[in-house]
Amino acid sequence: MVNDGGQLYTIEGVSAGLIMLLTAYFVLNSTSIYTPGDSHINDMQLEVLGYDALLMMNTPANNTMVKSPLQEIVEQDDGQRFKTMFMNLTNNKTGSTTDRLQFSANYTYRIQTASTQNATASAFLSSSRPYTEGEHAVRVTKWVIVDKQLGSSPVHNRAVLVEVLLWRDA
Amino acid sequence: MTQDSGNLSIDFLVGFTIFILAFIGVATMIPGILIDLNAHGVDYDAVAYRSGVILVEDPGEPSSDLNSWETFNDMQKPNITRFGLALSRDTPNILSQEKVDRFFCTTFVYPDDYHQKVIFGDYPYQFNISLLDPDNNLTRSVGDIIPPNHGYIRRLVKIKGPSNATIGASYIEAHHYYYDNSPSDNVSTHVFSILLNNTYLLNAVKDPSYQINPQKEQIMINITDLRSTIKNQANPQLINITLAKVEVYRRDLNPLGTYQLDLMRTFDTPRIDGNSTPQLPPVSVKDNVTLLFNDPHFISQFRAQDTSLYINLTFNLDQPGTFLNNSFSSPFNYDYSSANVTQPSLRNAAVEVSVW
Repeated sequence: MVNDGGQLYTIEGVSAGLIMLLTAYFVLNSTSIYTPGDSHINDMQLEVLGYDALLMMNTPANNTMVKSPLQEIVEQDDGQRFKTMFMNLTNNKTGSTTDRLQFSANYTYRIQTASTQNATASAFLSSSRPYTEGEHAVRVTKWVIVDKQLGSSPVHNRAVLVEVLLWRDA
Repeated sequence: MTQDSGNLSIDFLVGFTIFILAFIGVATMIPGILIDLNAHGVDYDAVAYRSGVILVEDPGEPSSDLNSWETFNDMQKPNITRFGLALSRDTPNILSQEKVDRFFCTTFVYPDDYHQKVIFGDYPYQFNISLLDPDNNLTRSVGDIIPPNHGYIRRLVKIKGPSNATIGASYIEAHHYYYDNSPSDNVSTHVFSILLNNTYLLNAVKDPSYQINPQKEQIMINITDLRSTIKNQANPQLINITLAKVEVYRRDLNPLGTYQLDLMRTFDTPRIDGNSTPQLPPVSVKDNVTLLFNDPHFISQFRAQDTSLYINLTFNLDQPGTFLNNSFSSPFNYDYSSANVTQPSLRNAAVEVSVW
């Protein structure tokens, strides 16, 4: 008996293969997959911006100023001034729109306790809004010399590390 | 008994084979597709970053005290190796106003001049370089309109502004820069002298960010309220004042071991009474004279970095009388005293580089 069992339906098979091939190609070709190789560029750009901002804040405007704005801010714990300056610096860009950067800043200093001479403590400085740990933030730091009493130490010049978490709102 | 259960049909085998081949083919394309997507983005961002670093952290080449690229005229463009806007290698992110002005001038050609001296590379990149100067409410840029996909970097900087001095009525009064109101002082020619002690200026402040350097940076001297120094005339408004000449002298050590003043040249572009157009002396003056030294060659040509310059203004009055005159006291010292000179100050700005 002759029937069609075992026959190759050539046109259907080849057509199905080509359709699957084209579908897979177009899907993959039209999808931008966000890889770690991309994200480091945005991180680098944010780090450069944050580092520049702290450097500019730690530069006096003229030689009659004894201290930089950042030194004064840390010495006076003036979080509002830090917020204003940092947001103005980092969000200023050409064009009609501003950037969407947010930050949270603190500073860290060394303290001496009865049990150890190598402990550190941190103090909150300012933030544009609370950091929820859900944001993809980068960390930038700047050593600043301040004349300030920190912990139980006397007032004298000492180094504190200003740390800023910086991220861009979606 | 022959049964066909348990056998694979040829249809299935052929179809499955085509699917597997297609799958393998597509899978081998995936790295190529992703590399292709990433390659341009990474490249453009890297070029933008590199160009940003060259612009804000490098003073360019050449950049010596007496031979810096921003002083080159258009005929000397081939001698510029690299653009860089920083004051010096030791002052990253602190830009020179003179370099910024020269960089954004219209005599450099986009893209050729900028590509060869700041972007670099063999690939014919297109780019846009912008500077946002919010204190002056100014945005300067060179390049094309920026497309949606491009490499980008933004650098925050400070621009060093020029110093200037204003010598007005109160300053003149406080320093007695006029002849006393006595008959013996009634002369019709008066000389007012301004001292640029370059040795002091370059050594008293070492940091280029705050240094007054007349050989590389603009300085401006405003002398105002000139008629307030005419004190022995009933109506000073009736006196005709003429700025006869402005001369520049250099203080040199002669073979006898004493100092002498050598006339170097005249300064022929004073601005009179607020007029922005310079006027060649002799010129009639109502009340104000402005000396703007913004030609980078004018001071540097005197090679005066280790000595002093005296700028002498000679005024003639049509009637003898007291007037601005310090030839028997001391010259006005253009120095780091904030009472004398408005010091150079740094203002915030941002440099953006986009490459595609």
